[in-house]
Amino acid sequence: MALLAVEDLVVRFRTHGSVVHAVNGVSFELAAGETLGLVGESGCGKSVTSLAMMGLLPKPAGRVEGGRVMFDGLDLVTLSERDLRDIRGREIAMIFQDPMTSLNPVLTIEEQMVETIQAHKKTTHDDARKRAIELLTMVGIPRPENRLKSYPHEFSGGMRQRVMIAIALALEPRLMIADEPTTALDVTIQAQVLELLSRLTTDSDTALILITHDLGVVAGMTQRINVMYAGFVVETATTVDLFERPWHPYTVGLLHSIPRLDEERPEQLIPIEGVPPDQRREPVGCPFAPRCAWRLDVCWTDNPPLTPVGLVGRVTTTGSGATHRFACHNPPTAEEAAAGRPLRDGFVAAAPPGTVIERLVGADDVAPAAAEEVALFEMPEPGAKGLPVEPDAGGTGDDDDASQGRPT
Amino acid sequence: MLKYVVRRLIAAIPVLFGLSIVVFAFVHLLPGDPVAALLGQHATPDLTRQIREQMGLDKPIYEQYLIYLGQLARLDLGKSVINNRPVIEELARRFPATIELSAGALLVAIGLGIPLGRLAASYAQRWPDAVVTVISLLGISIPIFVLGYTLQFLFGATLQWLPASGRINPRLNIEAVTGFMLVDTLLARRVDAFFDALRSLILPSIALGSIPLAIITRITRAAVLDVSNEDYVRTARAKGLTERRVSDRHIMRNAWLPVVTVIGLQVGGLLAGAVITETVFSWSGVGSYIVNAIQDHDYLVVQSTILVFATIFLIVNLLVDITYAFLNPRIRYS
Amino acid sequence: MAATTTAANLAQPRASRGLWGDAARRLLRNGPALIGLAIIAIFVIAAILAPVIAPFEPLQRDGSQVFKPPSATHLMGTDRQARDVFSRILFGAQISLLVGVVSVIMGVAMGGTVGAIAGAFGGKADAVLMRTVDVLLAIPGILLAIGIVVWLDRGLVQIMFAVAATNAPIFARILRGSMLALRESDYVTAARSMGASTGRLLLRHMLPNALTPIIVASTLALATAIIDVAGLGFLGLGPPDPRTAEWGTMLTGATSFYRQAPWIIFFTGAAISVSAIGFNLLGDGLRESLDPRLKR
Repeated sequence: MALLAVEDLVVRFRTHGSVVHAVNGVSFELAAGETLGLVGESGCGKSVTSLAMMGLLPKPAGRVEGGRVMFDGLDLVTLSERDLRDIRGREIAMIFQDPMTSLNPVLTIEEQMVETIQAHKKTTHDDARKRAIELLTMVGIPRPENRLKSYPHEFSGGMRQRVMIAIALALEPRLMIADEPTTALDVTIQAQVLELLSRLTTDSDTALILITHDLGVVAGMTQRINVMYAGFVVETATTVDLFERPWHPYTVGLLHSIPRLDEERPEQLIPIEGVPPDQRREPVGCPFAPRCAWRLDVCWTDNPPLTPVGLVGRVTTTGSGATHRFACHNPPTAEEAAAGRPLRDGFVAAAPPGTVIERLVGADDVAPAAAEEVALFEMPEPGAKGLPVEPDAGGTGDDDDASQGRPT
Repeated sequence: MLKYVVRRLIAAIPVLFGLSIVVFAFVHLLPGDPVAALLGQHATPDLTRQIREQMGLDKPIYEQYLIYLGQLARLDLGKSVINNRPVIEELARRFPATIELSAGALLVAIGLGIPLGRLAASYAQRWPDAVVTVISLLGISIPIFVLGYTLQFLFGATLQWLPASGRINPRLNIEAVTGFMLVDTLLARRVDAFFDALRSLILPSIALGSIPLAIITRITRAAVLDVSNEDYVRTARAKGLTERRVSDRHIMRNAWLPVVTVIGLQVGGLLAGAVITETVFSWSGVGSYIVNAIQDHDYLVVQSTILVFATIFLIVNLLVDITYAFLNPRIRYS
Repeated sequence: MAATTTAANLAQPRASRGLWGDAARRLLRNGPALIGLAIIAIFVIAAILAPVIAPFEPLQRDGSQVFKPPSATHLMGTDRQARDVFSRILFGAQISLLVGVVSVIMGVAMGGTVGAIAGAFGGKADAVLMRTVDVLLAIPGILLAIGIVVWLDRGLVQIMFAVAATNAPIFARILRGSMLALRESDYVTAARSMGASTGRLLLRHMLPNALTPIIVASTLALATAIIDVAGLGFLGLGPPDPRTAEWGTMLTGATSFYRQAPWIIFFTGAAISVSAIGFNLLGDGLRESLDPRLKR
């Protein structure tokens, strides 16, 4: 049985008269000792999912409004605050993005570590202190006995994050959630901290959920990846499978926005046009439709479910044999995935639902030419002899930033 | 931290000088003849000449100022025009009363203000918060003398639960050893008198403490709300600590910092408010000393006492800054 | 391109009408602020229409009706000199509001100028000027006002000046802050690089920035001013003519009559308190609605 099973999790934020649909039915599983990456851009719901799991959503605005989070047979969503507190820190630990603000500035490191240990185990202060020194050594803090009495501001960023990792692993939790653990750190330090995280979780057989917007981070660290967009999981696969052959247009787009050193010819970075959707409205259809170059008419109205690649009898949700699944009506072909754009003759991304066009264009029937004009993605001439053709960047016009709602 | 303290001390020096200049101006640079103004109706030819000499009014301004500074250094704050007693003596005699009153007011302000502020923060936007906000609003909007007389009327005259005025029932005849009524009654081993003095302290403390109470409540509420949104509070919860612990150790320890600063500023308000409170409650402290002097046109007393109050305020602020530096590890260990 | 824009954004929130429009809208939705506004309106009207509404003259003595409790003729009773308290409160509103408003304007002018100069020039000027402000701040609240009134003798103008001196430091700090922020901000450098003159910068950039805290601070300072003026009056430092109907002066020596004529204290005290409440409510409401960060 999986260590963690999230089933159809729904999280909404409600404030004076407005609702934000942060997470819209997310499901995944995690086996003991496994490392899973949650990847997506800001606002896709990856952090909210983990906060919801721990019961740490900002009250009173954030609420779990559907689904279950099964941890070890218990539904964390229905657990009492007392029981949740028992699990936090001891069974499930979490570290956050900014180590400077995540540590209490007026308490010493010793105080902050000892209180964690003593909150869950009956230990004397001395024993807790010894354990703290052990932990600091484990994370690579030199001369830990001296540093115990220090305050957070006396450490560098990387060291602080190591301290946070030490605190998180203090009680040997079975699951650790790391929410953008290296985003606030210098690049050189990032690698060190990630390596530390990886080594420690493997050594202690702790499952790890690594949340990040950076594909580079998950590439070396995780066994499986969930790609999230606008509160949905749009693709899930083992890391190897995902990078080798992405299926969802968003994933394809993500992979093509990263500059790669191993390309022979300097290729244009293909940005994903458009901006994330306004999550204040109830999601209708596929969330990625407005920005998708492969979209069909049905994409505007039906949100595709996660379907396995190829014909599969049973779906495996964890481990190295996990089924590669994606949520798309019209997935890119392998060539298109490699190229980063549709390659089918005469294919035009479906226009938004018809009525809108008529009002604006003013014609009774929409001529094919007019439909072409409103394509979000201008189709380049299929390149001859493999020479890349520059896509016309003028496709989307001005995006009104101000009119796009962003989820909190 | 030592550097910080020294820097603050040095910064205070020009302000002290500035104060002395201001009060000097108040006394020596009056529109019109200063001596006539100072003496008012008490002017006699002898007294006039004496004062003129004493103040060195025939000398150039800067010499007058230097003489003045010299006097201040010797703690010579002048003499009362009425009874020719040195101001400093009378101040020393009356100060304990004002200190007792201020202490009582501070107790009310902090003892009620901080819990109320925390309460309001934890029930933010709900009805307890609204109630506390209303109390706070009333505290800063109702003048001390209005509140004072209302309390006197209600609890002193009508309900007769508490003494309406004075520091102690005069018939109890306690000898003034330290000047602190609460101490002197105990020294005289009169427990009944002690409680009488304590009861006399209640109404004036509430009146004087009303404004600091209102402000401390507001600041505490704001500080707790701000700190509650900080990342480290989320970390504390993620570690599985009880809400109690999170509140006391993580939220309050940090929320204290701005509150301490505000308390220091409120002491100034207490000094100023004492003037009015002592008048309303017939409290024989420095505040009523100023008011009597105003009515007697004993202006030198007024200005000298203001100088003393301001100096005390400066010192208190300095102490508060040092306390803040001590409480904030980022400054303490820099 | 309109069609594509529509495709890209599926939501159309209400258009923003600029800082002032938004602020006014938010203010109108703020209950307490509206109450404050109503209170202030009542007092301003009472002050203006006092000669018309008041049943008696402020100095008019009604025979031997000394210390009479509220009745049909004397809605709020009479005082020691058999004068109608209600009428005196109405006329007192004139003084309180007049002195309050003038002293705040003076405070803004004096304090603001000092602060702006300190912030604009920096360096020595800044140090000297702000030390001076610190000296004023060292003399707490009403003590400074007392000192000034005693120094300059009693009089309405002197009172205005005294209260102005108490609230000036706040405005000095605000303007100094605005100036400093302006000097160091990126957009000033950008504007300068496009040839904007100092005057233009002051007007179009600094003023709007400083205006909102000044508006909020002025409103709140009015509340304090009203209380301070009454305090001065109470202590016997009010208008030179002791018969004047000024709220604080009406309560001088109340120790001697609070038992036999509590209504005087109640009604006069209520007048002072309620007007202060009004300005405080409005000030708080303005602060909330003018804070651009809270923009929804």
